[in-house]
Amino acid sequence: MIPLLEVSALTKRYGGLLACNDFALSVMPGSLHALIGPNGAGKSTAIGLLSGEIVPDLGHIRLDGADITKIAMPARVKQGLTRSFQITSVLPHFTALENVAIVAQIRAGHSFRCWGDARRDRDLTDPARAMLDRVGLGARAMTRAEDLAHGEQRQLELAMALMTGARMLLLDEPMAGLGQTESQDMTALLAALKGSVTILLVEHDMDAVEALADRVSVMVAGHVIAEGSFAEMRADPAVRAAYLGEAA
Amino acid sequence: MTLLFEQLLNGLQYGVTLFLLAAGLTLVFGIMGLINLAHGSLYMIGAFVAARTQAATGSFLLAVAAGMSVAAVVGMAMEATILRRLYARDHLDQVLATFGLILFFNEAMAMIFGRQPMMAAIPDFLSGAVTFIPGVPYPIYRLAIIAVGAVVAAILYGLIVHTRIGMLVRAGATHREMVRALGVRIGLLYTLVFGLGALLAGLAGAMVGPLLSVQVGMGDRILISTFVVIVIGGIGSIRGALAGAMLVGMVDTLTRAYLPTMLKMVMASTEADGLGAGLSSMASMILMAVVLIVRPRGLFPAHG
Amino acid sequence: MANLGRKRIMLALLAMLLTGLPYLADRLAMPDLVSLGTQIAIYAIAAIGLDLLIGYTGLSSFGHAGFFGLGGYVVGILAFHAAEGTAFVGLVPGATEAWVAWPAAILVSALAALAIGALSLRTSGVSFIMITLAFAQMLFYLFVSLKTYGGDDGLGFRRRNGLPWINPRDDVAFYYVCLLVLMIVLALCHRLVRSRFGLVLLGIKQNERRMAAIGLDATRYKLAAFTLAGAIAGLAGALQANLLRFVSPDMLHWTTSGDFMVMVVLGGVGSLVGPVFGAAAMVLLQSWLAQWTEHWMIVMGPVLVAVILLTRRGIWGALGGRG
Repeated sequence: MIPLLEVSALTKRYGGLLACNDFALSVMPGSLHALIGPNGAGKSTAIGLLSGEIVPDLGHIRLDGADITKIAMPARVKQGLTRSFQITSVLPHFTALENVAIVAQIRAGHSFRCWGDARRDRDLTDPARAMLDRVGLGARAMTRAEDLAHGEQRQLELAMALMTGARMLLLDEPMAGLGQTESQDMTALLAALKGSVTILLVEHDMDAVEALADRVSVMVAGHVIAEGSFAEMRADPAVRAAYLGEAA
Repeated sequence: MTLLFEQLLNGLQYGVTLFLLAAGLTLVFGIMGLINLAHGSLYMIGAFVAARTQAATGSFLLAVAAGMSVAAVVGMAMEATILRRLYARDHLDQVLATFGLILFFNEAMAMIFGRQPMMAAIPDFLSGAVTFIPGVPYPIYRLAIIAVGAVVAAILYGLIVHTRIGMLVRAGATHREMVRALGVRIGLLYTLVFGLGALLAGLAGAMVGPLLSVQVGMGDRILISTFVVIVIGGIGSIRGALAGAMLVGMVDTLTRAYLPTMLKMVMASTEADGLGAGLSSMASMILMAVVLIVRPRGLFPAHG
Repeated sequence: MANLGRKRIMLALLAMLLTGLPYLADRLAMPDLVSLGTQIAIYAIAAIGLDLLIGYTGLSSFGHAGFFGLGGYVVGILAFHAAEGTAFVGLVPGATEAWVAWPAAILVSALAALAIGALSLRTSGVSFIMITLAFAQMLFYLFVSLKTYGGDDGLGFRRRNGLPWINPRDDVAFYYVCLLVLMIVLALCHRLVRSRFGLVLLGIKQNERRMAAIGLDATRYKLAAFTLAGAIAGLAGALQANLLRFVSPDMLHWTTSGDFMVMVVLGGVGSLVGPVFGAAAMVLLQSWLAQWTEHWMIVMGPVLVAVILLTRRGIWGALGGRG
């Protein structure tokens, strides 16, 4: 079996700072792979590089065997690689339903179509409604995104990412800013998704990582220093040293 | 060939004028995040006040001082009353409000000084010419402008590398929150920075009086050239402003000097004059288009 | 709901007022009202095009007058060559018929917008504002330098473009033509902003990075919107040339671009109807102030500053309308 996402020797330098240094990672299809590390380890840069928002100086990214290193973000999404954002990033003036329906629209193409009321296009709204139900937002479909609670916005964010039809999801701290109950809900939601879509999860919430991850990679100073099961990582002396002083 | 040397110096001198304007505009944008269309109006005010002062007193130095200080005072008053309310607004609101200010200042100048263009005299101590190359005398006055520009560039460089204000510029517009953490009196600091920009605009206006006719609307045309300079150099960067100003100054001056002659080889003389003038006005924008294709963020993009 | 009702009433009143304007002008013995009304309709068309950019795509273009003037010059230059019996650059013969000249104006403006947009959209934010301004000013210098077509002084022509069944000398008929064009543009844009294309534009305005993350190559859509806005401005410019039977570089001057932006913001960004109110307010305010003093801009400038500082949603927003 070949990895769905395979990253080798990825390097990105900002002036004197090596944000990503010979970064390597393999995510097997159907797995949930967690990427953890202390603040400033370069996890967000890694997500940016993998999603195509940032151009690497060196290295290769392969999706299902095909080299996508030089492909821009929108084209990577079309190939099945989608990211979510650490800072909630929805379309604030659209309703929850419109937020998801526009993803369905972009996926379908035809966005140059200039006639017809897109908000009443059932080809778009039906799958969007189904997706909102799936993430537990069905009852909030007609609420403007900016009026949703923070936890609901995170659910919406996930619904949008899923609606792209992604095979490979890059989730950048989906628990960020969530309360304890909301975190548990999100963990349950991700657990339900497991298997149907491959996920690379960047997360600080170690309870969630422990509950969800099949494999864990630990990133320090732009480099993956160790990889294995959650239990192995917890026992690894190098990992413990890196996390010393961090509430892990 | 001798003409070329003269034109290169002319280009340098026009570049210096553009730099004085671009530096202030890009400083204000870099620190306060404000796009100020009325910057050209400050240049115009400096020019009018200087020309009138010189006519009244006969003193060129007094005239320059008056032009600079009136521009600075008007600029700071404008900042304290109107512009500071715009810092938190989007760029569209900033553009429209400062567009309103341009309408006001243009009309105010017309009412105070009239619509007839004014011409200032070159002061005695800067009149005459020096001869670098035998047979090619060059006006001392234009050399003086170049010298002033060099001094200002050096002062700005020192300011940016060695002071707190400079640190703010280098940090860029995206780090404005950091500024608040420094605990300086932000309101006053902003007013002073704006005053500095206005002072430079006023200086530029006061110095061009003896070279160009001083008239209503003179600020608008140079404002657009200044925008071209900033886009070419990279917005928010003083170094970019300097490089962009020199490039635009040269390209504009050289095309203006040589394009009509070249066109006359291929078309009728009157047509060539008109088209040559038009094309040389467009030349800096064409340069901007080329820079955009190669480097969308300008030659010296600011951080962030 | 009260807002919706009030919005409908305001729209109905506006439609009645515009339709009955020539009658009103006749009864009040104010023939100038018809040309003022025509001017409002034409500016409104151009401003609606700009609102597609500012209000629906989040692109603050400061070069709209470039395309407006270009459309006007297409009409003027075609009329000039028709009168002279010559051809533009020796190839394109002149034309005086609207069905030739107006589509030509739309096409030329759209092509110019496509080229300028392709360059300008490489940047965003303040740079985009400055660059669109500079490119429009480049077109301005181009027409100033074309002595064949009058240069600084502009280019006049004798009669309006021919339209079937319409007397080109009849100002009232021309007013209704412009009003009809305005209605058509409004209706089409109303459809457009609700379509798939329109939603994509609204999405780009709200969060372009997010749109890229769900697989949208935003640049193509922004360029399409920019081109469309240019085409609409070109149409408005063609009408403007017909209104005055005269075109000049003033049409492309950067202050005209500023005026269009003011109309959009004054009327209410992102509402399509707002720019109509904005155009009306601008034209009426200017003509009213100009009666008082030749220095009307000394009032207009501060009024503009006050409006921007004190109001947020424009005239249409204040009337309770939205979207």
